[in-house]
Amino acid sequence: MATQNPPAKRVKREEYRRKVQAQQESTDGSVIKMPQKKFFRQRAHANPFSDHRLEYPISPAHMDWSSHYPAFVDPDTSKTNLSGGRKLTKEVEVVDIGCGFGGLMVGLAPLLPDTLMVGMEIRTSVLEYLSSRIHALRSQQQRLKNKAANPSSTEPQDASTQPENTESTPAPAPANDDEIGTEKLFPGNFENITAIRSNTMKFLPNFFGHHQLSKIFICFPDPHFKARKHKARIISESLNSEYAFVLRPGGLLYTITDVEEYHHWVLRHFLHGEQPEGGPAPAASSKDLFERVSEEELALDPCVRVMKFETEESKKVTRNKGNKYVAVFRRKADPEWPA
Amino acid sequence: MASLQHPFQCLRYVNRQSMGQSDILIATAGRNLYSYDSSSGQRLDVWPQPVDANVEDNAEDKSSDAAPASESQGPPEKRRKLSSTSEEQQDAKPESKPKDSNKEASNSWTNIPLVAVAHSKYVVIMTSEDKCVRVLSLDNEGKLQQLSARTMPKKLSALTLTPDENNILTGDKFGDVYTFPLIPSGEYVKVQAPAKAYEPSATNLTVHTKRNLESLEQQMRQAALSKTNQAERVVLNFEHQVIIGHVSLLTELISVTRPADSTVGKRNYILTADRDEHIRVSRGVPQAHVIEQFCFGHTSFVSSLCVPSFEPKVLVSGGGDNYLLVWDWLQNQILQKVQLPGAEGEITMRGIWDVSLEPTADNADPVKAIFVSLEGSSQLLYYTLESDNTITHQDTLQLSGNVLELTGLGSRGSILVAVDTLRQSDSTSAWKSSSQPPLEAFRFSSGKWAPVDDSMVIKINSEGTSNLPTTIEEKQQKELNDSMYNLGNLRKRGDYDE
Repeated sequence: MATQNPPAKRVKREEYRRKVQAQQESTDGSVIKMPQKKFFRQRAHANPFSDHRLEYPISPAHMDWSSHYPAFVDPDTSKTNLSGGRKLTKEVEVVDIGCGFGGLMVGLAPLLPDTLMVGMEIRTSVLEYLSSRIHALRSQQQRLKNKAANPSSTEPQDASTQPENTESTPAPAPANDDEIGTEKLFPGNFENITAIRSNTMKFLPNFFGHHQLSKIFICFPDPHFKARKHKARIISESLNSEYAFVLRPGGLLYTITDVEEYHHWVLRHFLHGEQPEGGPAPAASSKDLFERVSEEELALDPCVRVMKFETEESKKVTRNKGNKYVAVFRRKADPEWPA
Repeated sequence: MASLQHPFQCLRYVNRQSMGQSDILIATAGRNLYSYDSSSGQRLDVWPQPVDANVEDNAEDKSSDAAPASESQGPPEKRRKLSSTSEEQQDAKPESKPKDSNKEASNSWTNIPLVAVAHSKYVVIMTSEDKCVRVLSLDNEGKLQQLSARTMPKKLSALTLTPDENNILTGDKFGDVYTFPLIPSGEYVKVQAPAKAYEPSATNLTVHTKRNLESLEQQMRQAALSKTNQAERVVLNFEHQVIIGHVSLLTELISVTRPADSTVGKRNYILTADRDEHIRVSRGVPQAHVIEQFCFGHTSFVSSLCVPSFEPKVLVSGGGDNYLLVWDWLQNQILQKVQLPGAEGEITMRGIWDVSLEPTADNADPVKAIFVSLEGSSQLLYYTLESDNTITHQDTLQLSGNVLELTGLGSRGSILVAVDTLRQSDSTSAWKSSSQPPLEAFRFSSGKWAPVDDSMVIKINSEGTSNLPTTIEEKQQKELNDSMYNLGNLRKRGDYDE
């Protein structure tokens, strides 16, 4: 295949993406192939302070989720939101902030089939990949379902391979990522996950109302190594206030990183440090709104396993024999108003 | 040709009758802060004084909290955090030069865009270029004396006080809200871990590409070299706390107290607005980390918030939209959308002010006025708040120049409006050839606000403010324009940056 003048990488990419796009738009029922990550890679950093060209709803009540979760649209057409979109039968309650290629979303989808989940990502190409991926997963599930219901299908493959088996071990080879879900029926059929481009550091409250969420995931966030860049970190005391606003009391905020220093940063920004005996009480801050979840509890939480082993970044860390630092925090109730 | 004079940028009416003293008007123009007797219009003081030696002496005598012995020569406010004696000597040099400090200071800012008054006897200002929050005492005679100066890390866009007026609240261009005591208490000792050798947070477990590994190696080498090279920052070397943060440019910050009602007691809130269309409602200090609400409805930046003193449940907000929003702010409920004259994308809110007047013989009903002005407009829109918490446009007042600032004059039934003395009416860039009087007064009578010849205003206008240099270059003009009319820069231009 080696030619003297191979087309520029970008040309190839654009061609590929156009194809994917066309495939998605076609409704002839042809098999939709999983998108390939290599055509969607993008620089791992984005400036959270710049305006970008983001689309975001004026308020959560204006957010039209109906195109994101067609299977959950309320059949009552009279129920619409403030922007005129159809309402859903339930609210979105899990968010993956900085979802990347969406390994966590895809991994969690069958675990929480009745929970609506959204991945948010600021990088357009990556987001495009994940949207294509979810679209492909859904259509494959649809095809498998049709086959299961109609075994006389001409397709030679047997599609009834234990639809209940969601505990499949993660594929060891990274390439298999792109194939996940092709052969099995999964609970929820990936109808419960979607991806949106957003800058959550600015616009998270535009999407989610007070106490709407039950889980927030922040997996392998951009570590912003330089001290000068620390203000761009996705975890900070003031952002934690916003996470607390959208997270319901009892809700969980999951973090994982492979950078030990960042792990300590996370702990430092969610928890009060050791106070000297008899010293002054720590100043009130958003740390008062969170408590750390114990290791025993985490061992029983299947979401932690997905976070540790099924996200693209976690697989990379495993490959490179890096460390993974997990910290999960439970949202406490708001403090009483001062008398 | 009369020389050009700076317009008034901030006005505050200080009610001191409860203290058995006459009221004072505080105003800023150019780089100066003025105090005026509110009945005669007599100028009581100018700060900073034109450079002269005895200012220093006064500052020393009057300062309430004495400076530590080692710094007794320096102005008491220049309190620096010094971690070791060797550093102390080094640092002391550039910092404590009492003889020059006044002169230095006089060059370090050109305007005073933010003012607050605490307990009727302290004036808090921010001087723009040096990003310094200065607290001055305002004594019985209206004399101004600087008590403290604290340098902030970023330029402030808003400055106010907590409801008890004992703490300052500031909002900056970085989206952070700080609080610190009005009067610094005692010596500030920064809690600091012993200097640690720099250690990159990246390791060869977290970076893998050849280039990243190379730069990591380089960092390690650099760290070994530059352990000593840690210049201490001069900002924030005082007791402070960051209580709220937006990842956006913070534009406005107000502190509101909702009086007790049948279900809940008295509660304090902080309302913040930003360039990304948000209005955030947080609890007051010390629980400002608890966000209670977001008020969604603007589609451009928000630059003005006004919770009328006569109806604290209501918020009137505006910014880059061509409408005002009237809110039940605790419920994120829009009560009214008020169209403004002007097209979307062109108009910018200059300010929203509330003025209330008690009933008088002339006016049977109390007046609940909301005044609105747009940036670079010589018109003042007059609204009244109705019993159903909507506002009704009553009148439009025409001023002789662009409206810059407004304050109610307490019991006198009038308002004072600062107009732009430099730029032509309805322009933010074309200059006049000669100055006009900086203040205009209006009195309410028979349901209308009518211009009135107030003896105080006549006196203040006759004295004027400080002169601009007689020859002023275009570049300086532009700088002055930009510092007076900068809100339009908040508009998003849709730059593409992936």
